[in-house]
Formats: sequence, structure tokens, C-alpha cells
Amino acid sequence: MKLPIYNQRLLAIEKRTQRFMLGAVVVLLLVLLMIAVKQNYFHRSTTILFFTPNAQGLSKGMAVKFIGFKVGSVEDVSMQSNATVQVQVSLDNEYVHLIGQDAKARLVKEALVGESVVEIIPGSQQVRQVSRNSVLEFERGQDASNVVENLAAQLQPILNDVHQITSGMSNPNGDFQQALKNLNQATGGFRETAKEFTQLGVSSNKAMDRINSSLGTLDQAIPKLVDKADTTLSDVQSAASDIKKITNESAAEIPSLVRNSNALVQDGQETLGGVKKSWLLNGLFPEPEEQVLPVDGYVPPKQQ
Amino acid sequence: MYSRLIIPIVLLLLTACGHVEETRSARQQQATEFNQRAQRAFQRGEYQVAAAFYENALQLDVAVENVNGIAINMLNLSRVNQTLGRPALAQRYLDSLLEDKALHYPPVHLAAAAAQKSLLLLQENDAAGAQVWVDKAAAYCTADCNLSGVIDNTRANIALQANDGDKALYWSERAAAENKGAAPLEYANALRLMASARLLKNEPGTVPDLLEEALDIDKSLGLPEKIRQDLLLLAQAHEKLGHIELAAQFRDRASRIAATELK
Repeated sequence: MKLPIYNQRLLAIEKRTQRFMLGAVVVLLLVLLMIAVKQNYFHRSTTILFFTPNAQGLSKGMAVKFIGFKVGSVEDVSMQSNATVQVQVSLDNEYVHLIGQDAKARLVKEALVGESVVEIIPGSQQVRQVSRNSVLEFERGQDASNVVENLAAQLQPILNDVHQITSGMSNPNGDFQQALKNLNQATGGFRETAKEFTQLGVSSNKAMDRINSSLGTLDQAIPKLVDKADTTLSDVQSAASDIKKITNESAAEIPSLVRNSNALVQDGQETLGGVKKSWLLNGLFPEPEEQVLPVDGYVPPKQQ
Repeated sequence: MYSRLIIPIVLLLLTACGHVEETRSARQQQATEFNQRAQRAFQRGEYQVAAAFYENALQLDVAVENVNGIAINMLNLSRVNQTLGRPALAQRYLDSLLEDKALHYPPVHLAAAAAQKSLLLLQENDAAGAQVWVDKAAAYCTADCNLSGVIDNTRANIALQANDGDKALYWSERAAAENKGAAPLEYANALRLMASARLLKNEPGTVPDLLEEALDIDKSLGLPEKIRQDLLLLAQAHEKLGHIELAAQFRDRASRIAATELK
């Protein structure tokens, strides 16, 4: 190979390498720029704070909403020396003028089993707007587990009352049992009286005979009835205590169970939806269309 | 060499990524859902339920002026009402489709409506009216129309009602050739019509074979009324062939199906 041709080739390779390197640098810069945009490096924001006794349900990156719109995010959640939790919230500057110093931050769930967000509750309009490091009041909204716990707390006294009533009814010295016993004795008394009437010579009266026999039947039936009432009341009592136990035990588990299964189903649906829409696979999942029933060229015979 | 190919490949992939799926409104999706529920109900033989769902779908399609959906659900409602023994209502749905001046329905749906109307008229012994509408169906049935088999079967039915065995045999044989392997429902109809035409012409020799084939298809599709009709025709054919005992067996089988009163 001749030297000039070799040199020319070397020059060409050098130029190509330069172009390639330049391209790579441009791509790298673009990527860095995109990361910077994504990380809000060019975004102007104001940091405000709130304090809470515990960090439960709060996490970095959590959305901060104002009248339903995302206006910022939780920047940092840190524990202070006095064992309280400081939460730093980064608010977009364009919304800061809407939030007064007396606004409140509230931790809420978007739906019954949705994501948690920090909601800014607007304060009075006359008050000065928040500025950097302003401190907002914080409160926790009710979530599903709170609702169930409250429900359990409200149910408990009712169940206690049921328990008391049923205990009272099954208690041999209670009013109910005593009333039944009195009734029993009264029927016995009636029978005695009827017997006396019979002895006195009025036994020929058929009506009195009938009363006598009816009272006899009642006399036999009432002790059985009392026994049955006893058993039934014990059953009710044990069922009530079972319900109470179950309600207490499941109060903490049900919301998380519902939340998890809901999230799982939602994830599954989203994944499937995404897979169906991806251009590689969307041909395999055609959108359903309205279908027409085939015309049936059959004419039933007139006489069969 | 390869580097030159990379750019077109990348562009192609980017084009594919940029392809935007045609989105349908929530109402249209709901209409599709109702239509599909109705289809399933119809297949299960729950015709009242199917009619209710088709009505819901039609209402939604009318609300968003989905012309194709309106035509489809009107045709379906006509078919369901025909099955439910309400020919007047079935005809009203077809008429509102065929006489609509404001909306332009696809010709394939108009062809289906005309063919269905012809069959309804034939059921009411109006052979002349049936002939008019079957001709209209044939005129509508041009491109992308797979109704020629149904149209030929309708013509065979008209000929059969006019006691014209030759014509009935001609049209039913044509229908059988068109529907074989494509539409089992219509193919079985064609076989039954061929058998009826041959019986009319007093040529019962090949009739049992035709009917056995139709019977197998009708059984696979689960159509009691047609199964019963196949059995009755088989009885008739065996009677003509002198197989009296066999004919009685087929009649007995047919009567058992009739007792269920399922359509």
C-alpha cells in the first residue's frame, strides 16, 4: 500500500472518529439535560415545613395537592432531636400565592384504598402567603383502617349491651327468668284452683275441664320452653362474643388486605392493558367490535 | 453496507412506536359490551335477555350516531324478535333500517336486512313480496358481502313454496356449494332444502345422506327446531323408500324433541 493513500485513509478514520465522539458527547449532554429537567433542576420552588408526632404514612417524593391539583412534593422526612418528625415540602412557585400562612397540611388517601397524598387545606385569603420555611399546621385525615377501627369502637358498646341483655335473660335470678318462673307458678296455682273447683262439685262443667287440661299442657310446656330459652340465650351470647373477637382481630387486617388485593388487581389490569397496547403485541389483542347475528335462511314449514 | 440499513430500520421502528391506536369513546365501548352480552345470551337461548341488551346497545349507538352499530343492533333485534315469535316487531326493525333516509348504512347491512325481510315475508306466505326483497338483497350484496349463500337459500325456499322442485334444487345446490366450509349454519340449511326439493321431485334415493349430514351439523350447533325438522324429513324419505319401521323411529325421535318446546 502506498503511503499517501494510507495517510488519506488515516485522515478519513480520524474524521469519522471525531464525528462519532462529537455525536456521543451531544447525546450525553442531552441525557444529562433530560435528567436535570426530570429532577426539577430548572424548576423554581419554595420549601415549607410541617411537624408531626410520627412519620407513619409520610414518605419522600409523595405528591402534595391543592384543591385536587399537584402543586409539589414531599422533599424530605426527618426526625428531630425532640423526637418529632419534620417534613419538608417543595411547592411550585406558581402556586405559592394561593396558599396562606394559616393553611393546613393534611395526610389523606385519594380514595378508600388509593395512594396517600398531602393535601393543602386553604386558609383564609387575607392572611399573608407562605414563604420559604413557613410552618403549616398538620393533621391526619381518616383512612380506611381508621374508619374500620371507629366502626369497631362503635360496635363494641352495642355488642356489650347485647351481651348484658342476653346474660340478664339467662341469669336464673334475673327478671326474665323470674317472670317465667312466676308464670309457671301462676299456672300451677290455676290448676290447684281448678282442682278445688272440681272437688267442690263443679267438675261437671266442661269448660272448667278444658281449662284444667290446657293449664296442664302449659305446665308441661313451660319448663321445656325455659330450658330452650336458656340454651338459645347462651348461643346468642357466645355468638356475640365471637363477633366481638372477630371484629377486633380483623380491624387491622381488613384494610391492608383490601388495599393489597385492589392494588394487585389494578397492577394486573394496567400491565395487561399496557401489553395489549404495545405495538409488538397489539395485533394479537384486537379491540372487540359489535357483532351481527348471522342471517338464518331457514323458513319453518307451515304444517308439521 | 449495514450502516446504511440502520437508519431506515430505526425510522421504521420509530414510526411503529408513534402509531396511535384509534380510541373509542366510553359510550361506544359500553355499546360493544352490551352487544357482546346479548350475543352470549342469544347463544344460550335466553332471547328476552338478548333483546334487552341489544336495545341498550342500540340506544347508546343512536346517542353517539354510530351508524354501523345502529345497523348491527337493529338487525340483531329483528332476528331476536323473529325467534321470539314476534314477526311484526321484527319487520318494523328491518323497515326502519331499510327506509331510513337520513342515515346511510353500509350496503352489506342493507343486504342482510333485505334478505331477512324476504325470509319474514315468506314465513307469512307472501312469496311475491319475498321475491322482491331477495332481489333487492342481491343488488345490495356486492363487495365484501358473504350473504350470497343465504340469498340462494332464500330463493330455494321461495321455489319450494311454489312447488317448483327443479328451481329449488338448483338454488339449494348453489347455496350448498357456496356455504360448504364457510358457513355451517347455511350449509345445513342448503342440505335440508336439497333434501326437500328431491322429496318434492320424488327422488328420495340420496335424501337420507343429505339429511344425516345436515342433522350432524344442526346437532353440533345445538338447534332443536332444525334437528326436529331433519328427523321429520328423514322419516318422510324412509317412508318413500319403504322403510316403514325406520320412518316410525325417526318420527318418534322428532316428537321427543317437539315435547321440549325449545327453539
